[in-house]
Amino acid sequence: MSQNGNNNEFDVIIIGGGITGAGTARDCAMRGLKVLLIERHDIATGATGRNHGLLHSGARYAVTDQESARECIKENMILRKIARHCVEETDGLFITLPDDDLDYQKKFADACNSAGIKAEIIDPKEALRMEPSANPAIIGAVKVPDGSVDPFRLTSANITDAKLHGAKVMVYTELVSFIKDGDTIKGVKVHNHITGEDLDFYAPVTVNAGGIWGHGIAEKAGTTINMFPAKGALLIFGHRVNNVVLNRCRKPANADILVPGDTVCVIGTTSSRVPFDEVDDMRVTPDEVDLLLSEGALLAPALATTRILRAYAGVRPLVSADNDPSGRNISRGIVLLDHETRDGIKGFISITGGKLMTYRLMAEWAADAVCKKLGVEKECHTMDTPLPGSRSEGIEEISRKIWTNPTTTQKATAGRHGDLSSRIPSVNEFDTSLVCECEEVSTGEVKYAIDELDVHNLVDLRRRTRVGMGTCQGELCACRAAGLLAQARHCAESGKKDLGRFLNERWKGIYPVGWGDALRENEYSQWVYSGVCGLEK
Amino acid sequence: MKMQEYNISENNFEQCIKCTVCTVYCPVVPVNPDYPGPKQAGPDGERLRLKKGIFFDQTLKYCLNCKRCEVACPSGVKIGDIIQAAKIKYGHGKPKLRDFMLASTDLMGSVATKVAPIVNTSLKIKPVKQLMDGILKIDHRRNFPEYSSRTFESWFRKNAAAAQEKFDRHVAYFHGCYANYNYPQLGKDFVKVMNALGYGVRLLDGEKCCGVALISNGMIDQATKNAKKNIRLMTEALSSCEAVLGTSSSCSFTIRDEYPHLLGVDNSAVRDRMELAVRFIYRLIESGKAKLEFRPDFKARIAYHVPCHMEKLGWGMFSARLVQMIPGVEFTMLDSNCCGIAGTYGFKKENYEVSQAIGKPLFDQIRTLDPDYVACDCETCKWQIEMSTGYKVMNPISILAAAIKE
Amino acid sequence: MKFDTTIIGGGLSGLVCGLRLQKAGRNCVIVSAGQNAMHFSSGYFDFLDRTPDGKAVSVLADAIESLPDCHPYSKIGKVKLTGYMEEVQPFFSGCGVRLNGNPLRNGYRITPTGNFKRTWLSLEDFVPFESEDCPWKKVLIVNIEGFLDFNTAFIAGSLEDKGVCCKTSVLRLEEMERLRRNPSEMRATNIARVLDRKEVSDKAIRQIKDMLKDEDAVILPAVFGLKNSTEKDTIEKALERKVSFVATMPPSVPGIRSQMRLKSEFEAAGGVFLQGDTACGPEMAGTRIASIGTVNFGDIRLESDSFVLASGSFFSKGLTATPDSISENVFGLDTDASDSRKDWYDTDFFNRQNYISYGVRTDDRFRCFKDGRLIENLYAVGSILGGSNPLYEGSGAGIAITSALYVADNILSAEA
Repeated sequence: MSQNGNNNEFDVIIIGGGITGAGTARDCAMRGLKVLLIERHDIATGATGRNHGLLHSGARYAVTDQESARECIKENMILRKIARHCVEETDGLFITLPDDDLDYQKKFADACNSAGIKAEIIDPKEALRMEPSANPAIIGAVKVPDGSVDPFRLTSANITDAKLHGAKVMVYTELVSFIKDGDTIKGVKVHNHITGEDLDFYAPVTVNAGGIWGHGIAEKAGTTINMFPAKGALLIFGHRVNNVVLNRCRKPANADILVPGDTVCVIGTTSSRVPFDEVDDMRVTPDEVDLLLSEGALLAPALATTRILRAYAGVRPLVSADNDPSGRNISRGIVLLDHETRDGIKGFISITGGKLMTYRLMAEWAADAVCKKLGVEKECHTMDTPLPGSRSEGIEEISRKIWTNPTTTQKATAGRHGDLSSRIPSVNEFDTSLVCECEEVSTGEVKYAIDELDVHNLVDLRRRTRVGMGTCQGELCACRAAGLLAQARHCAESGKKDLGRFLNERWKGIYPVGWGDALRENEYSQWVYSGVCGLEK
Repeated sequence: MKMQEYNISENNFEQCIKCTVCTVYCPVVPVNPDYPGPKQAGPDGERLRLKKGIFFDQTLKYCLNCKRCEVACPSGVKIGDIIQAAKIKYGHGKPKLRDFMLASTDLMGSVATKVAPIVNTSLKIKPVKQLMDGILKIDHRRNFPEYSSRTFESWFRKNAAAAQEKFDRHVAYFHGCYANYNYPQLGKDFVKVMNALGYGVRLLDGEKCCGVALISNGMIDQATKNAKKNIRLMTEALSSCEAVLGTSSSCSFTIRDEYPHLLGVDNSAVRDRMELAVRFIYRLIESGKAKLEFRPDFKARIAYHVPCHMEKLGWGMFSARLVQMIPGVEFTMLDSNCCGIAGTYGFKKENYEVSQAIGKPLFDQIRTLDPDYVACDCETCKWQIEMSTGYKVMNPISILAAAIKE
Repeated sequence: MKFDTTIIGGGLSGLVCGLRLQKAGRNCVIVSAGQNAMHFSSGYFDFLDRTPDGKAVSVLADAIESLPDCHPYSKIGKVKLTGYMEEVQPFFSGCGVRLNGNPLRNGYRITPTGNFKRTWLSLEDFVPFESEDCPWKKVLIVNIEGFLDFNTAFIAGSLEDKGVCCKTSVLRLEEMERLRRNPSEMRATNIARVLDRKEVSDKAIRQIKDMLKDEDAVILPAVFGLKNSTEKDTIEKALERKVSFVATMPPSVPGIRSQMRLKSEFEAAGGVFLQGDTACGPEMAGTRIASIGTVNFGDIRLESDSFVLASGSFFSKGLTATPDSISENVFGLDTDASDSRKDWYDTDFFNRQNYISYGVRTDDRFRCFKDGRLIENLYAVGSILGGSNPLYEGSGAGIAITSALYVADNILSAEA
């Protein structure tokens, strides 16, 4: 394909830089299509970056939805191979507490096994040895192949690979309107928020991968998708309380999953309907925090006394069946809509529903549909082609290749960037000096992210490197990182403004859990930035 | 359960709010760039190590365990404990022969006292020092403490034990390895002072080394064994003695604070009644229950150095007040500064330069003051200061013993 | 152990109160749990940057009458407060710390991010500007190479907006190489230790001299003079230019130096400073505190005629917040905090945060209450006091110093 040389003409335009859009871009690009991906913010800013980061085994769905469960376990095994540096193979436990129905355990294990998920009922004592933080009162435990996955890393790796296969990726580029010719969508008018430019791009097929915002995108195309924004709130604890994923062995409910991810662990979620006009600014309420805490402490009692770093919430893009506008019949499965057959709009596809775990499969379906529309016969290879970063050996071998860094930084960096770590400058002491001390992010890593990973501000930088994600939440590192960013952009003023925005973005997650040491730490940050530095809004 | 009433994780590393004050007061950071500093090695590192053990960094061995970071920390984080606990949990492998020898203070002491003249002479001669330097990596520039030809225990049994039973009230004495093997005079001074206060002294029935050197050299099993035995002996002794007293700040600190924090040995049965002699004596005199009569002719200019573990215990005040009670004493409190020896740390060849650099401000201050002698509650500080400055160092108890009327 | 006064907290307010009392012949002990907020100082003392309703303040006395009755300044009263304002410089210089600036008017300081912020007095190695205009036309801004806690571009950006011509540069000193081997310890205090060596600071000065052309002034990070405060004068003399230090991100070299100076002055006057110890277990006798314990002293208690609570706010653990309450830590005193955490915060980081204004309730002499009853011999000073938002108003140091002097005088007059 990519027969035309015009730089505003593509084979396919993908709208949305979440994991679905990134995965679709990679899949299409790997099949040789000329791809444009546009994202109005940064990558992974929607539901992609606002969930547990759970590498589902599918066990959670086994009893209620065998199809989802099967999809999950299949994708779980694929991600372990192709996204090694984004995945941690922790295993998971479904524990039964004294108040839960122990009979459910058998039904659960059977359902798992029939979906192809290896579920093993183990002695509660054995479970406590496996995960000492689990509630010691448990009366039953089932071991399943859960794990954790870093959604930021996963999205970034997909974007990187899409680009390596020739895709053009434009972040901070928002869809203004569709360019239509009768009932055919021929392209998009976009606005670039960084350069201020308005641009037109053309492609025979456009894919709506906008998550919950896909609702608005579809409206711009002249159709509606029956979506229901469902808010899910989560809490991040300061360190890992558990090393094995903990779930409640009961029908899925609030706050019944505790996932260890990188240096922290995450409890979630709540579930509540929210209106569309709130989805751009989700804030966690005191009631949600209290619910998450009290339920979470039932899984792992240590949570009651462990410091909480922040609270956040995402919006699931739930889609209702087309014949059910009430939303009672909601599917958590993948929804692929060909708007030509559905609404008579040619050249337009929506890929939605689904979940982080099945992003690759969603991308495969979407890419298949794109290829079909373009009349291209190319097979999908994403299930057995490792992502950049996951193409070679494990952390320890990679660490040895970046030996000029101190040993802890080597391991932290290798964990984040996998085999791409060797691209990170580390030749001298300026590059190896630390910007973020909590998460061991070096100056070299920050420079690499700015130069190669589409970083435009400190929040983007955080998603690529974990700068500011540690216990200090930016107190020490924000000013350093802002300095480096300003230096790279040759603009001190924008660096300072960005610093203010970053501190506010961190504060948004801190104040819902602002007590104890989190409040102490914030008071210190306040004195440093508002007092000593005199920063204002 | 009340939620989030307090946020205490194990070792409370999450109370760290990254203010970096600990790094300002760490004596190692300014002199050894290979040491990541207490914040990185302690709370920051702990979070990473909980993620994966591979984040353990061998450079944690440069930590002196002086606890100055903990004294400085406004958040009450047990930074030193976190680092020591990480060394115990993740630092593996058998200790080197050198570390084994340095750490096994009671084993080495009991052998050496038997052949003390030979050991003392040979430890001073150059070829032996070179040999120790080359093979054992014990720095040749370092003077080894002399061993006594007779242990304090054997002196006590023969010369003092019987007389102690004439007293109505008793204290038990945890003499530690130093008083026993290297400097029995300290033990004798202690007996003299306690007797003057109206107390008889008893020894524990076979006390073991407190384990401070075993802990810092990673010999945790041996340290735990010693700790359990010592606590048992002390519990027994406290049925007939008012208190168990020590004359070494490091031994007392280890027994009171490191046993539960690092070794997981419960010391609650004895902790409130196990303390340094200076604190016990201060309480006694302040409450008017006892009095010391001082010689009118005792005159001395004394500079007092607070050892790191004394600083952590917060008891420097008691030694200072006692020495200041002696009418003929001109007293100066030295600036708070680690001497650099940190137990066996400074003996190791790889640490010698760092060790001396850490102590330099202290040595300079002592030379400027030019006192008659330096007072200090710690034996390894004593070796370091004596070797590095040439000034004589005396335990406050020995100073009291010298100053009281016979 | 008996003292005339026991002070809990060894920060600015605790030390000032202790020094005032000790120098008046009273025997004091300070119990200090860890190091204090002076370690993060900007190098300046703020008195009142703006009123609680947001009006900028220039002549300080003019603003005092507009403050609410609960404000610590209102409790001290305008007459006494003005007296203290004028007394602060001589008091500090008597303790070996010189302060620059006009005690009756606000000046300005340059912040680490280049902002101009109203301030009151400065530690001796800084000088407050008289107005928001930069007094210089051309400035050289120099950093230590690779030091991330000081940003020359931020400062240059702001000064250029004011029409100042700026040049930025870095010092390359081989003596820093050793420090740089440690990726996390390139901090202000460690750099200051290297620069405390005369041969290194001489070399730095020579390098700056070579960079200088026709600039009227040089801006440097405040990493000179961990031990002595005359480094600025030395550099100015050698460069024949005005030199202005700008605070770095924490830790603060001039703050630490000044705190150490005040502490040794207190000890030299005979005061006892218990570093790294925590007050606990107060014992009451009627409406008075009889004694407190400390964690290290155990059964040996501190008995005093009067007690001063200078334990700071949340950061220093004077106050603790749980999900549904805010409480004072040592005595369980009455506070002015709301019990609903919704009231504690504003959703914007840069707006006024109510939680920072919370503190203990006091009478007009800063004596504290417990369960609604006055404790006759327990006084509060510094940021544990309620009634003001020191961060929003820019009044932290002013309240710390004047409340400490006022309480010391109250204790002295109560005993007289």
